[in-house]
Amino acid sequence: MDKQKLLSVAIGGLLALGLASNASAADKKMDKEQCFGIAKAGKNDCSSNKSAHSCAGQATKNNDAQDFVAVPKGTCDKIAGGTLKVM
Amino acid sequence: MLALSDDLTVFGSAIVRGEAVSPLVDTVYPHYSVATAIDIYRNNYCGNLHDALASAYPVIYQLVGDDFFRFLARQFIAQYPSCSANLHHFGAELADFLTTFEPAQKLVYLADVAALEWACHRAYFADDAVMLDINKLAQIPPEQYSDLIMRIHPASQVVRSRYPINAIWHAHQSGENGDFHIELDSGTNIVLVSRIADVVQVNELEEDCAAWLHEIQAGRAMGVATDLTLERFPDFDLHAALLNLVRQNILIDFNPGVIT
Repeated sequence: MDKQKLLSVAIGGLLALGLASNASAADKKMDKEQCFGIAKAGKNDCSSNKSAHSCAGQATKNNDAQDFVAVPKGTCDKIAGGTLKVM
Repeated sequence: MLALSDDLTVFGSAIVRGEAVSPLVDTVYPHYSVATAIDIYRNNYCGNLHDALASAYPVIYQLVGDDFFRFLARQFIAQYPSCSANLHHFGAELADFLTTFEPAQKLVYLADVAALEWACHRAYFADDAVMLDINKLAQIPPEQYSDLIMRIHPASQVVRSRYPINAIWHAHQSGENGDFHIELDSGTNIVLVSRIADVVQVNELEEDCAAWLHEIQAGRAMGVATDLTLERFPDFDLHAALLNLVRQNILIDFNPGVIT
């Protein structure tokens, strides 16, 4: 097929299909999206101190101490081969 | 006498690098010392950055767990202090950091997953753009298709990895049951990040489609981009690629290009 024809067929197919499926996909996701939006926006202020930082209680230098080396203990166990390679 | 800027530098060093507070700081609090006050501030500074990092990298957070993430975040924050007043800019260098972060070296895929998550984070905050106007495209005469120069949605990004980062990312999204098993050697991934409305999309991309998109991103006209792609991938299906990229809101606009 020559290039001109190829482009005509490809774009012609796009035109024939329209973007109806596109719009409905966007609508379907909107519920979930709103929660994400709020969560993300809330991170950009100074009030999000819920990760073990109640100001007065835990404010000691000890939080900075690096006296142990943590080991990953998350879902990485479920990835086979993920910890076998020697670097 | 210290100028204000000197004061701020001293204060900044105490907060960011944990250096001892200058004796010249002579504020007095009724119930605790200046050193304690600085510690509280520093603790909150680190806490906020930790939270910002965890929010930008939810998959990394789940992969390594709470303790290890806190541990790596502390080191990252020390190495890459926040440089913007906008916390959403913080954390861009995590993938780089992870490639050399010794305690995570065994998780060989971690840096690539971080690169994918940062692409998603950027996509989320990228500028809005209207979807492709199909009626406008319908008005272009077919003999001009070859000259069309397509415009890409600002959220669009391609991330490549030797590891199955697409599967890893999807296994950690809410709605998944968390019960997965992924083989690390299941192959190279090219992942396309896009955004439809406010929802970030993550999808695997075929090698030939990625090659075509690369040419389009470089500003080449449709005809040239297609020729170059077909030279490398004779089986390239332009029709399928166009459909895929428009559906994912990658191609959003065009101009007629130079008509010769």
